[in-house]
Amino acid sequence: MKNTESVSPQITHIPEKPSFLPHLQPTVNVLAAVIEPQDANTLVRKLNQIAPLENLRHVKRVRKKCIDGGKPQLSLLLSLAVENDAGVLELVKSYQLSTFITKVCKYAATSKEEWDEQCKLWPTSYHPPTHNISGITGFSEEESQSVFGFMRHTVDLATSSVGQVVNAAVIVDSSTNQVIASACDQVISSPSLANEVSKEGICSNYLENLNQQTLLLDGSIEESKHIINNVACVHPWRWALQSFGCCRPLRHAAIVAIEYSAARDRQLFPDYKALSPLKRQKIEESDSQSNGHSSESLRPYLCTGCDIYLAWEPCAMCAMALVHQRVRRIFFSSPNSNAGALGSVHRLQGERSLNHHYAVFGVVLPEDVFRNKVLDAKTAGSG
Amino acid sequence: MASYAKETIEFMKLALEQANDALVNLEVPVGCVIVEDGEVIASGRNRTNETRNATRHAEMEAIDFLVEQWQKDGLSPLEVSERFSKCILYVTCEPCIMCAAALSYIGIKEAYYGCGNDKFGGCGSILSLHTSCSELPASEFASSKKGFKCTGGIMASEAVSLLRSFYEQGNPNAPKPHRPLKQQV
Repeated sequence: MKNTESVSPQITHIPEKPSFLPHLQPTVNVLAAVIEPQDANTLVRKLNQIAPLENLRHVKRVRKKCIDGGKPQLSLLLSLAVENDAGVLELVKSYQLSTFITKVCKYAATSKEEWDEQCKLWPTSYHPPTHNISGITGFSEEESQSVFGFMRHTVDLATSSVGQVVNAAVIVDSSTNQVIASACDQVISSPSLANEVSKEGICSNYLENLNQQTLLLDGSIEESKHIINNVACVHPWRWALQSFGCCRPLRHAAIVAIEYSAARDRQLFPDYKALSPLKRQKIEESDSQSNGHSSESLRPYLCTGCDIYLAWEPCAMCAMALVHQRVRRIFFSSPNSNAGALGSVHRLQGERSLNHHYAVFGVVLPEDVFRNKVLDAKTAGSG
Repeated sequence: MASYAKETIEFMKLALEQANDALVNLEVPVGCVIVEDGEVIASGRNRTNETRNATRHAEMEAIDFLVEQWQKDGLSPLEVSERFSKCILYVTCEPCIMCAAALSYIGIKEAYYGCGNDKFGGCGSILSLHTSCSELPASEFASSKKGFKCTGGIMASEAVSLLRSFYEQGNPNAPKPHRPLKQQV
């Protein structure tokens, strides 16, 4: 965040709504009418009661236009075009309004450019983003290297068992840059999977492993579909096809990592029991009186302040689990067009009704690191 | 209420008992039971505070119990999947997005819930993860998205009043609220 030159293009913020070209923003049809200026106040007040613009809070109710430099003409947004609200119709009747259908932009503008385009249709309000999660406005070189480092570790984990790729999750306390939990998918138990791999005769060696990493990083997933069959978040329904072995369908990497971080919390702060608010208040008061820094008061709430690194974009179950556990930022390497919930199929970071919001980033690692490793291994093998 | 089968009400009462157990233990009062062939085979209630794991919702508790149980019994994944496809869930609150996805992954047959969940609901309120996408050939069906029948509003007021009494006493594990707790309804 220091200066724009040090921002790496390889860590991409994935925003709360799909991005559109400013002039191609989605619109909705609304019912509007030209009104007399003296009626504006009364009408707006009445309409805000009978037909509030629930999902169009960014849209202004009144549009002012100057015709031929003469006196201004006011248009009033009555309601969505699809709604035939009785109250609105009554208002139209009593004020003898002649209505027309027009378009307004569906989503609030996220940039000045978008806003300029929006106002050409119908005026909207624009609030520049006031995010306080670091990284949204860019990463310094140092921060980028740290993100790449953790992501490399995560991709290594995801490809560490021979002949297969799974999802991996690494939870990092961002205040100390310390890994507090990491896990791979545990949907299908490893021993039986190893059997399956050898049965199918998949060549399993170090080089193969690296090739998979390269595939993963290249995003050339189409050619390697079978390799990702075991990535739980990509194929969450596939566990049932397993004909043998043991199987825990919900033990996706992120769910397991959350479980490990919770276990760590219980171990580090064993005495922290659920207390009634009154008791807790008393304890906190006595804490602050003594010196304000008991170990308990340093205990974070769930994963507040933690980042999670995932090899694959999480599915809806895992993405929502990370909302519940109050993760601060999510970094993932490969998008998940099959079941991804952070932009591919769903976009949980854009669901405003949720009580917690994390920032989401896609990370493309500098792939030459892995290519070189592959080349090194090849040279070493032939020499 | 009268339009629901007596059986549905009876199972929901058991789910409410679970929710009440959560309340007594200072947990968010949501509870559930899982029924197979008219018989309760698992129950669960929220354990997020006790475990400090915010994913330990009632549904996850009950599903994990069954998975472990069936594992011990030596069931193959295919058999586990067949068992789940006969199961009906009764839960006091609409499954959240996480739980609704989980229910789809395990391939549950049906779910009945009490009150809706307009902040997190995954069965129609925020997302609709219980609807399946399309008719697929049997060969592909097994590994693709599974929907389940979902019915809400069963004994909703009982479920809501439990939640209300919880939030009036305050979530003991939540961080200090920015606003004072509401005392009224």
